[in-house]
Amino acid sequence: MSADTLEVLASAGKGQSTRTVLRFIILSLIAGAAIASRLFSVIRFESIIHEFDPWFNFRATKYLVANGFYNFWDWFDDRTWHPLGRVTGGTLYPGLMVTSGVIYHALRALTIPVDIRNICVLLAPAFSGLTAFAAYLLTNEMAPSPSAGLLAAIFMGIAPGYISRSVAGSYDNEAIAIFLLVFTFFLWIRALKQGSMLWGALCALFYGYMVASWGGYAFITCLLPLHAFVLICMGRYSTRLYVAYTTWYALGTLASMQIPFVGFLPVKTSEHMPALAGIFGFLQLLAFLDYVRSAIPSRQFQTFLWLFAGGTFGLGLAALVIATSAGFIAPWSGRFYSLWDTGYAKIHIPIIASVSEHQPTAWPAFFFDLNMLIWLFPAGVYLCFQQLADEHVFIVVYALFGSYFAGVMVRLMLTLTPVVCVAAAISASSLLDTYLNVKSPNPEEHQADDSADGSAKKAAKAGLKSTSKPVVGVYGWLSKGSVAGAMTVYLILFVLHCTWVTSNAYSSPSVVLASRMPDGSQHIIDDYREAYQWLRQNTREDAKIMSWWDYGYQIGGMADRPTLVDNNTWNNTHIATVGKAMSSREEVSYPIMRQHEVDYVLVVFGGLLGYSGDDINKFLWMVRIAEGIWPDEVKEREFFTPRGEYRVDGEATETMKNSLMYKMSYYNYNSLFPPGQAQDRVRGSRLPEVGPSLSTIEEAFTSENWIIRIYKVKDLDNFGRDHASAAAFDRGLKKKKVNKKKGPRQLRVD
Amino acid sequence: MKTSAVFSAALSLLSLVSPSSAKSTTTAASPSKPPQVWKNANLVHIISVEKNYVKENINVLVENISKQPQDEYFLLLTADEASRLGGVEVKDRKNAKAGPFGVEVVELDPKSNDQYIRIKLPAALNAGAQQTLGISYYLLKAYKPLPATIKQEDQQFLAHSFSALCPSAYVTSKQKTEVKLPSANVPDYTKLPGSGDVKEFPVKSGAKLTYGPFDEKPAGAVEPAQVRFEFNKPVSHVTELERDIEVSHWGGNVAFEERYTLIHRGANLSDQFNRVKWAQAAYYQPNTHALKEMKFPLRVGSADPYYTDVIGNVSTSRFRSNKREALLEIKPRYPLFGGWKYPFTIGWNSDAKNFLRQTVNGGYILNVPFLEGPKQPEGIEYEQVQVRVILPEGAENVKYSTTVPQSSITSDDVEIQKTFLDTIGRTVLVIKARNLVDDLRERELVVSYDYPLSASLRKPLIVFGSVMALFVGTWVLGNLDLKFTSK
Repeated sequence: MSADTLEVLASAGKGQSTRTVLRFIILSLIAGAAIASRLFSVIRFESIIHEFDPWFNFRATKYLVANGFYNFWDWFDDRTWHPLGRVTGGTLYPGLMVTSGVIYHALRALTIPVDIRNICVLLAPAFSGLTAFAAYLLTNEMAPSPSAGLLAAIFMGIAPGYISRSVAGSYDNEAIAIFLLVFTFFLWIRALKQGSMLWGALCALFYGYMVASWGGYAFITCLLPLHAFVLICMGRYSTRLYVAYTTWYALGTLASMQIPFVGFLPVKTSEHMPALAGIFGFLQLLAFLDYVRSAIPSRQFQTFLWLFAGGTFGLGLAALVIATSAGFIAPWSGRFYSLWDTGYAKIHIPIIASVSEHQPTAWPAFFFDLNMLIWLFPAGVYLCFQQLADEHVFIVVYALFGSYFAGVMVRLMLTLTPVVCVAAAISASSLLDTYLNVKSPNPEEHQADDSADGSAKKAAKAGLKSTSKPVVGVYGWLSKGSVAGAMTVYLILFVLHCTWVTSNAYSSPSVVLASRMPDGSQHIIDDYREAYQWLRQNTREDAKIMSWWDYGYQIGGMADRPTLVDNNTWNNTHIATVGKAMSSREEVSYPIMRQHEVDYVLVVFGGLLGYSGDDINKFLWMVRIAEGIWPDEVKEREFFTPRGEYRVDGEATETMKNSLMYKMSYYNYNSLFPPGQAQDRVRGSRLPEVGPSLSTIEEAFTSENWIIRIYKVKDLDNFGRDHASAAAFDRGLKKKKVNKKKGPRQLRVD
Repeated sequence: MKTSAVFSAALSLLSLVSPSSAKSTTTAASPSKPPQVWKNANLVHIISVEKNYVKENINVLVENISKQPQDEYFLLLTADEASRLGGVEVKDRKNAKAGPFGVEVVELDPKSNDQYIRIKLPAALNAGAQQTLGISYYLLKAYKPLPATIKQEDQQFLAHSFSALCPSAYVTSKQKTEVKLPSANVPDYTKLPGSGDVKEFPVKSGAKLTYGPFDEKPAGAVEPAQVRFEFNKPVSHVTELERDIEVSHWGGNVAFEERYTLIHRGANLSDQFNRVKWAQAAYYQPNTHALKEMKFPLRVGSADPYYTDVIGNVSTSRFRSNKREALLEIKPRYPLFGGWKYPFTIGWNSDAKNFLRQTVNGGYILNVPFLEGPKQPEGIEYEQVQVRVILPEGAENVKYSTTVPQSSITSDDVEIQKTFLDTIGRTVLVIKARNLVDDLRERELVVSYDYPLSASLRKPLIVFGSVMALFVGTWVLGNLDLKFTSK
């Protein structure tokens, strides 16, 4: 009986359809694991949109669902960037919102009404399941063994480098873009391998979807031409390459130009030039030359080739230079320069450098985000070199570029992760395929081979023990067991590491903070939403809120109030204006705030709780950005003590103490403490005994743990005094009679 | 045994009830003033301002002074009062079993400011006969804070205007007005010349003011008066409450969800909110006019409560649940001061067997509280209430009855709502009411409906059928050969 079942079990998995079913089940389980491991934050907190950018995407999605696609396309948002507004419909990548909107309406049609918020929260995990599947397909194109594909799928599913951008609630463009990236690469490889227009067109279709979803599409736009270029340089030009590339390029560029935000960029900017002028044109030339070569004798062809190639190159280069200098083609953008020189942004564009995810990657981050994959990865690339078909060249090129970019910017770790997973899966599967193979080569067959070789070898064989007993080396049970066992342990450790990283590092919504009560129970610090809800309910519908740009999207999404600046940092001057208002004295800031019709000012202050991501810690960036526009009025140096320290206590500089940001952060703070004991727990310094005083703004709301402080901008004084003297009068100070030399009285005309 | 008796009683009630619009304008032919056929022999008017709404009790001994038997008694109101009036109930003080009184707010003369509560007596009263009526009702939005803006740490005072003489459509021989106050701290109140052995009205004894007794007054006589009293408690006002009760037969569950639009109608802050003072007051001066917390005593057996607002879950809530109680305590995200708003949503589940019974002839009876708002010592008032009872798909023959005063119910409808996997949509009973207060929170809502077996099998069959159709469709499509070259 038991022997029967064993036999059945053994024979199962041999048939083609059983394998398909098994593979299907394994892939479903992988997708399930990928989704489940991203749900920490939903279970621990709630179904909530995370961080900053996702709040805008969420708000835009709600707008799309409420007003329909065409209104969304034409959306001019007057509730951001007051008083400029933002042409939101034309300056966003609509792919993410449209995807959620389609899912929302499809579920409605199936009479499953799911709240749009839940769709947005769970979109990233759902797409991560698809990404795992796409990684499986891509790897299957590379490796003969399907186990590599399955390994790549599970690596992709749980690698923290990808999870970091796709946990539930992280409703950002990357949520769907990574799936599109991997799937577009798969389609490209398919198209290239088969030289098929159908696959090329599909590739273009998904490329178009990618362009609609994420600014990172430029990565594909540069990588595919590069792959083609490398292939040409290796002498591997073929009609397959020609068909695949031209189909992809022509259709893909047309598709990408349908997005208003992209528009004519693909034919006008330098980033897109390699794809257009470089490879597309080059391929046409090659095809032409190919044709000419088949038509004319080879000697003439040689001269023709030299003349033609030289002429074209010269002409092309001249055209490019002229077009660039004449302004038809925009030169490289600043964000692009910062990819080559990591110090560039800090000097020239502080607003890019002020974002933490644009900083260069620290090396432990690679291990943190990829764990054992990081050492399997080079081995996989090496294995690709061994075979080096067209698709392996792609992996090599991708690996090189991905590694470089991931080293330059933290957030580009995301684009490296797919290739790491694929390469690591190739090496892991070839290891496992070698060592998990139960069958040893039959000694008799070896014998027969050897005897055919002749007697000389036979003599040598007698001398070497290992050759006489072929089951010792790679085929021995010991080596098989130890390698397979070690791999198993590594894989288990990898899963543990991924779970740990996801749970600890990437699952905090950052809108809600968690802490522990003395008895170990979870206590939730919800100051952000407390203050946003207060703003939403108890201020005028059109009250303008001034805050640093980090909080713009959240204020728009949660407090539903107009803001001056937000995370879509399209207007540097406007941001610098806010920076100037924050970093100047009240007398300077007040006119700025009046001119921008500011009603409330919101600052984040972590001093009471020890919350380090507060505005005083970001303050220097505000100063730097303001200094970039008004170098005479705001000077970074003046915020440092003569010894070069950035201090907030009694020794802070006068400029610091008089800046609006400092005053708003510490106003009334010392009354919480016994006299002279006020303590800032973030910067660990004791504050001066007398706190700052404010005259042009008044405290309107402070959240429970003081994280958010909201100030109301005072109206003009009823008696026409300036605010400082009005405040002094209210405090009971006598007005000094100094201004005897008043001019003749004038009728005030406002 | 007992419950079934209750249910059969409720069933018999169901057929009686056919609520029409509570307020109607009588036809042009009717007189612009009620006929003077009654006399108030003795009247005691009790105005209770202890909570953040006014509860008025009028106990009146009426006498039929006409020649014919009369069965309609009118009570005078102003148009403003009529719009804020709710929960009118009339009882016979002497005879508790004296049948139901019909109550309706009517406007006899569209040009005049006067409106009336028309009380239909259960039996006509013969000429010269007397009956003691106990009329009680609530007035919402009754106070205005005086001073209108105060500091965060100040005491809040409210002012209430009323008439020291009970406005009546009839001649009143003898009457007295009592004002019940929340505390003895009453800085101002209107003083009137006294009569008889009392020199000056009102007589103040503790937290009670008594105007009267007055001698005979003509119909419509008023004597404006005002009282200003300490009320250092939140004046919570719910402008709209939407209450959904969803019955699931398959799940054996009744789900409740309530959406509140809450506003504090008390004195506004004269300065901006000061967190330091607020934190200190929590220790030194716990009594405040800000709304800090609300307690919802739910029915025992309630489970899985949630408390959210428009931007997500609110973490400041506690739920105590055991065999004796199910108490949901929630705190708003921020303390609520005068003029501040805070809309929120709460919800919970309960086992269907706590509320749902099947009758002998196959129908179902659902018995739920009409209102389950917070229970606050200072009370809470509801301006608009919408109760939606979402019955399963295919439920039919829906009838209801409620012990909430009929005059507060403005409309009822049976609608269809399509939601999860519905084909024809669920039957929804929508009852709208207005001007309710938390005194009425234990009042019942009894809904009876039929739910045939075929309706309960509809959903599983349809889901099964569509999934099968999907499989078969995929199989058929998979077997099609679309290639140009076959073989």
